[in-house]
Amino acid sequence: MRGTRSLVVLKLALLTLSSAEANRPRGVSPEFAKYYKDPTTFTCISNPSVHLPASLVNDDYCDCPDGSDEPGTSACSYLSPLSPITPPDIPNNDNINTTIALPGFYCKNKGHLPAYVPFTNVNDGVCDYDTCCDGSDEWAGVGGTKCEDKCKEIGKEWRKNDEARQKALGNAGKRRKDLVAEAGRLRKEVEDRIQSLTTQIEGSEIKVRNLEDELRDVERREKGKIVRGSGQRKTSRINILAGLARQRIDELRDTLIRVRQERNSSKDRVKELEAILSTFKEEYNPNFNDEGVKRAVRSWEEYAARDKPSDGDAAHDRDLDAITQPDKENGLDWDEWEDSEESLDVDVLYKFEEYLPVPLRTWLDQKLRDLRIWAIENGMLADRPSDSGESRAVSDARNRLESAQKELKDNTDSINTHREDLAKDYGPDDVFRALKGQCVSTDSGEYTYEICFLDKTTQKPKKGGGDTGMGNFVRLETIFVDEDLPPDGKGLGSGQRIAMRHENGQHCWNGPNRSTTVVLACAEKEEIWRIVEEEKCVYRMEVGTPAVCEIGGGRREKGRDEL
Amino acid sequence: MRGNTICRSLSVKHENFKTCAQSGFCKRNRDYADHASSLSSSWDSPYKLDSSSIKFSNGVLSGTLLKTIDTTTAETVRLPLIITFLESGTARITIDEERRQTGEIELRHDSKARKERYNEAEKWAIVGGMQLSSGAAVSRDAEAGSTKVVYGPGSTFEAVIFHAPFGVEFERGGETQIKFNEKGYMNVEHWRPKIEKPIEEKKEGEDATSEEVAKEIGEDESTWWEESFGGNTDSKPRGPESVGIDVTFPGYEHVYGIAEHTGPLSLKQTRGGEGNFNEPYRLYNSDVFEYELDSPMTLYGSIPFMQAHKKDSTVGIFWLNAAETWIDIVKAKVSANPLSLGIGGHTDTQTHWFSESGLIDVFVFLGPTPKDVVRSYSELTGYTQLPQQFAIGYHQCRWNYVTDEDVRDVDRKFDKHLIPYDVIWLDIEYTEGKKYFTWDPLTFPDPLGMQKQLDAHDRKLVAIIDPHIKNEGGYSVVDELKSKDLAVHNKDDTIYEGWCWPGSSYWIDCFSPSARKWWAGLFQYAKFPSSAPNLFIWNDMNEPSVFNGPETTMPKDNLHHGHWEHRDVHNINGMTLINATYEALLSRNKAEEKSLRRPFVLTRSFYSGSQRLGAMWTGDNQASWDHLAASVGMILSMGISGFPFAGADVGGFFGNPSKELLTRWYQAGAFYPFFRGHAHIDTRRREPYLAGAPYTEIITQALRLRYSLLPAWYTAFYQASTSGTPIVQPNYYVHPGDEKGLAVDDQLYLGNTGLLAKPVTSEGAESVDIYLADAETYYDYFDFTTYQGPGTKTIPAPLEKIPILMQGGHIVPRRERPRRSSGLMKFDPFTLVVVLGNSGDAEGELYLDDGESFEYEAGAYIHRKFAYSGPTSTLSSEDLSIEGKKTKQYLQTMMDVRVEKIIIIGAPESWKIKSEVGVSEEGTNKSTPVKKAALSWHAASGGKAAWAVVRNPAVAIGKGWKVDFAS
Repeated sequence: MRGTRSLVVLKLALLTLSSAEANRPRGVSPEFAKYYKDPTTFTCISNPSVHLPASLVNDDYCDCPDGSDEPGTSACSYLSPLSPITPPDIPNNDNINTTIALPGFYCKNKGHLPAYVPFTNVNDGVCDYDTCCDGSDEWAGVGGTKCEDKCKEIGKEWRKNDEARQKALGNAGKRRKDLVAEAGRLRKEVEDRIQSLTTQIEGSEIKVRNLEDELRDVERREKGKIVRGSGQRKTSRINILAGLARQRIDELRDTLIRVRQERNSSKDRVKELEAILSTFKEEYNPNFNDEGVKRAVRSWEEYAARDKPSDGDAAHDRDLDAITQPDKENGLDWDEWEDSEESLDVDVLYKFEEYLPVPLRTWLDQKLRDLRIWAIENGMLADRPSDSGESRAVSDARNRLESAQKELKDNTDSINTHREDLAKDYGPDDVFRALKGQCVSTDSGEYTYEICFLDKTTQKPKKGGGDTGMGNFVRLETIFVDEDLPPDGKGLGSGQRIAMRHENGQHCWNGPNRSTTVVLACAEKEEIWRIVEEEKCVYRMEVGTPAVCEIGGGRREKGRDEL
Repeated sequence: MRGNTICRSLSVKHENFKTCAQSGFCKRNRDYADHASSLSSSWDSPYKLDSSSIKFSNGVLSGTLLKTIDTTTAETVRLPLIITFLESGTARITIDEERRQTGEIELRHDSKARKERYNEAEKWAIVGGMQLSSGAAVSRDAEAGSTKVVYGPGSTFEAVIFHAPFGVEFERGGETQIKFNEKGYMNVEHWRPKIEKPIEEKKEGEDATSEEVAKEIGEDESTWWEESFGGNTDSKPRGPESVGIDVTFPGYEHVYGIAEHTGPLSLKQTRGGEGNFNEPYRLYNSDVFEYELDSPMTLYGSIPFMQAHKKDSTVGIFWLNAAETWIDIVKAKVSANPLSLGIGGHTDTQTHWFSESGLIDVFVFLGPTPKDVVRSYSELTGYTQLPQQFAIGYHQCRWNYVTDEDVRDVDRKFDKHLIPYDVIWLDIEYTEGKKYFTWDPLTFPDPLGMQKQLDAHDRKLVAIIDPHIKNEGGYSVVDELKSKDLAVHNKDDTIYEGWCWPGSSYWIDCFSPSARKWWAGLFQYAKFPSSAPNLFIWNDMNEPSVFNGPETTMPKDNLHHGHWEHRDVHNINGMTLINATYEALLSRNKAEEKSLRRPFVLTRSFYSGSQRLGAMWTGDNQASWDHLAASVGMILSMGISGFPFAGADVGGFFGNPSKELLTRWYQAGAFYPFFRGHAHIDTRRREPYLAGAPYTEIITQALRLRYSLLPAWYTAFYQASTSGTPIVQPNYYVHPGDEKGLAVDDQLYLGNTGLLAKPVTSEGAESVDIYLADAETYYDYFDFTTYQGPGTKTIPAPLEKIPILMQGGHIVPRRERPRRSSGLMKFDPFTLVVVLGNSGDAEGELYLDDGESFEYEAGAYIHRKFAYSGPTSTLSSEDLSIEGKKTKQYLQTMMDVRVEKIIIIGAPESWKIKSEVGVSEEGTNKSTPVKKAALSWHAASGGKAAWAVVRNPAVAIGKGWKVDFAS
């Protein structure tokens, strides 16, 4: 019946109840029962200087500054740092410290686990079955509310779920053992590898030392030969060569000038385009949220943010100016080459790049190599054993040494990598070693999300289009979470949890680079439970894995919320 | 390039909106005014009232104005004039044009548009107060060439109509309050055929002069036949047709109203000069992206209602015209007349109103108080809707909560953090491809489950539905819209296609009755998939916003139902949509038809009358301190403009507020009638629980303060719904006689509660100055520190504190128990805060009903007056209700709801020795001994007032009772 019961009736009912319940007033848990034993006087729990007649307990008016006189009503629910408090709101207060004494309204929940309901939820017309399955939080029946006792079914359901959870936890525990064993095996593998590398390195070092000696010997032996061989490669066709080279250089210069002009005009076009896009970005209306436009702006911003080839390199341009001058002005007088035969030395030709401005040298060098090969192939130039004038014997020895040195370096690098890996944080018991590189994914909304452990997180649109990197793994962290656990146990729960930080994912339009915190909790197998975009492009992934069971990520707490 | 940091400077794109010079008729009317002014007394306004045509009967004076259009031939144009005198004391001047009225004109371009001047604005705006005055009478003592009508309460009002040139002066108590056409700016652009002139060769000298002359008298023909702006050309089939007139308020220095603008409450001058605007205030409902502050630029809504105020006198006018309208304001200092001894100089406010088309149709209110003027205006245009209780709780919005699970998670987090809220909102992204009345199947797979979770704690969902309907094959809504031909037409009278969120779209034409009926059908539970009874609606973009249209709206030559041009009805357009949605939400199935539910609709665009249909907000503001500051004045302006259910996006729409700004904004928002947090899609999440210590705690306090004061807010809404009283009130409204405080617009009174809040709107503030207009005692809301008015007082305002004072003499009802939503407070007990004033008395009101149905119309409500009498030391509760069919039943449901606590601030020292008070309740036997309730008294100390508490008097809130402090 809607609101037909009077408060008087309710109070009577309350009195009858409390006497039957061994003097435990409504809403009081066994833990606090001792404070409510005196049949005549009640003393506020946190403020023992305040004494009240026992009749004021649960009379739906707040008399204790700590709220302890109203364990079974919402009368003191406003006593909280979250409320706007004025002096008369704190009863019997003469600057008394007002810490709330009770954790909440105690629901006995016979047939299930007892629990506390926040006082703000008492007699508000809502059956808070998720915490108070016996419906006792709505004892006053305001507005006709009736909350029947559902503990039997809820308890049964909970026990069923709990059993499943415990079973899952048991399995998870076993799986974790396997993972730890696997991690141990992987670790052992690394250690073994380090062991064998150490041996290899020792061998390589000896080999390098020996080859160094060998090279020195060979060099000494070959020196004389080289001296004798010099000066014999002069050719009489140098004039032809000079002519050809000159022609070739001219060709190259012309090409360079043309390419440079093309470059300049392209550069102007790029500038113009950039200006258009830049204005576009300034002036478009983001409120209209046109995905196409936003995507274009995003790409532009990413483009604009990238390091550009130094555009204003005046030195480079000066060099080009110099190169494109006639050769004479570069100190290269072809006529001189072609006219005076006597003083020619072909070696000068090989070094002629040195006359050129530095930036062109590499490019020209390659061209000259081609030219030389062409000249040799056409019989205009004598072949030589090597540029440096080294004999085959010396270079062979050098090659052997170099290859030994490389092997040594590779081995040293490898051993360092492995040592670093051993020192890396793979979590308790090294367990994540076993998960490294494994990927799991789940669908959420219009995307599929993926985590590859100790590697990266990714968002893949279902409707097509490219993947978006949500961050690369950087480190393990421990964070505090406080979440309600769903009945199937697939959630973070409350407490310290291991989290994997992923940073520097793809840049976000109008925002940061994407990053993901993957929070781990115990589960039978690796699975992504939930993805939340906590802030713009800052994601949180809730992931289950046996790897964190019974340690930081274990959810061994009781299935009920303790308020 | 700044690389990764994007610092988009936020500023309005002026080039998207017309200046006066770019709006043909604005320029013509301003030029006309300049011409008249330059000629001063030699200016001869061409409008004369034909004396022989004047008739008066039953409160209506009619006649014909003759506009001389050619002085040489004395050719005139006939303009029918009607002056209506209403029983309420309001007068109305209506001027039409005979030739257009009778359709004897030709339209260009074979236009299908109507030929008349638009005369249906009143169909939308006016809902009452039109009873003709029985007492109005033509006075015999009028001077020659004029007609005088005496009317109004006790025949204290007079309208003096001058015949040649035409003009009207309104007097109250023998003093002139308002003058029409005193400056001779009256201008009715009569119909004329376009004369195709051969393009003359420019002759030296001659041509230039004739053009100049034309320009001088406002006859700049260049904008008569065609106007282009931003790549759109207006075909103007009816040629020039603007109307304008000057309205002078002699002796009035302050004018308020003509919302919606960002400038100060007390309107600025618009004709240049130090600190003044250079542009007239504009009313042309527009989606202004990143609007700027302190500007006469138009915004989303229009209320062409202006009040003029001077010490102890308020008058006003309401310009009933739905076309684009501009208002110039000049405040002319009139120096003392050396001949009239003892009279100093004063200021006249001269206003000039002009609209692009339609009638001159003006209502005149003669006050004498702000309350009278606002009530008279509200009587005509309707009182604010009494909203559902939830609508005045806190609304959590964001563009966008991205999935139904996201919504459920936010809902759970509010509970987890013990933060109250009533409504969570969905912006456009919930739809499948921006098709309204659909849900995105990937992100919102279970809308019903989501709505059910919200309903478990009596919470609501508000989803956005906009007027643009996506043009996409296979979308049943657009298919029906097209096949039934219910969309707005273009100038060729075929369906108009424009661009908005969904891309190519059509616009429902809610001027059409069949369109409204169809629209209502779409909201039926059976038709709107997965819609539950706790789903309500947000109508955005209803200016209408058209991304590719001129000034981001529709072309003016578009055609609406009845072949009215969009130009004629533009400012009403937004109201027609929420009107249709309101009608739709009254009942969404057969069962609800029998017991209607109060709709909730939020609108961005509005016009006079929209207050009957829902709430408004100030659109897309920015997360900056100056926008927070500006919101206070804008909301006050809405309050005195008859549309008090107003709010601004808490936190600021664009950009990321600092935690301090967010916190201060919640503290201010707790005093917005419409209290909603909202954020742009590119901003970071900012739900209150994310802010962290100490911000979350402080924000929660502000929210809980709002919830504890909901009884006072609801009572203020009730008063607004019955008398037009603003819900938050500016200083001048509360203290009309206080000359110093007439421009104060940064602090607000909550209804008639005497609660005076001064939102902190600057960074790092530790205190604020608050202006006290009267000699009353004020008390700090939180610690009872006493401030004696009048004058400016500095009060501490560290971050955790909202500066609120309680004016002595009031009784404020509160509900102290923090609940998850307002619905869960329904049966909670009350606390009464009695704030004793200088007189020793105090008074307050409480209105209460079921908060959702219309049963209050059948008496299902509680309305009490609480009064504390100093001389008798008694507090009593008196009934203000009128019993109806459902009164008893309602009182029965509320019989257990009691007053649990009475707090008396400024309690007399004599109570020191008292430990109890006598409590008696109606209906108890006379012989029953008077109940006792404990009283505790606390002495004044350190500037803080004494206070006392009556412990649990346990009197029923719905009953009469008395608490005797003397016994």
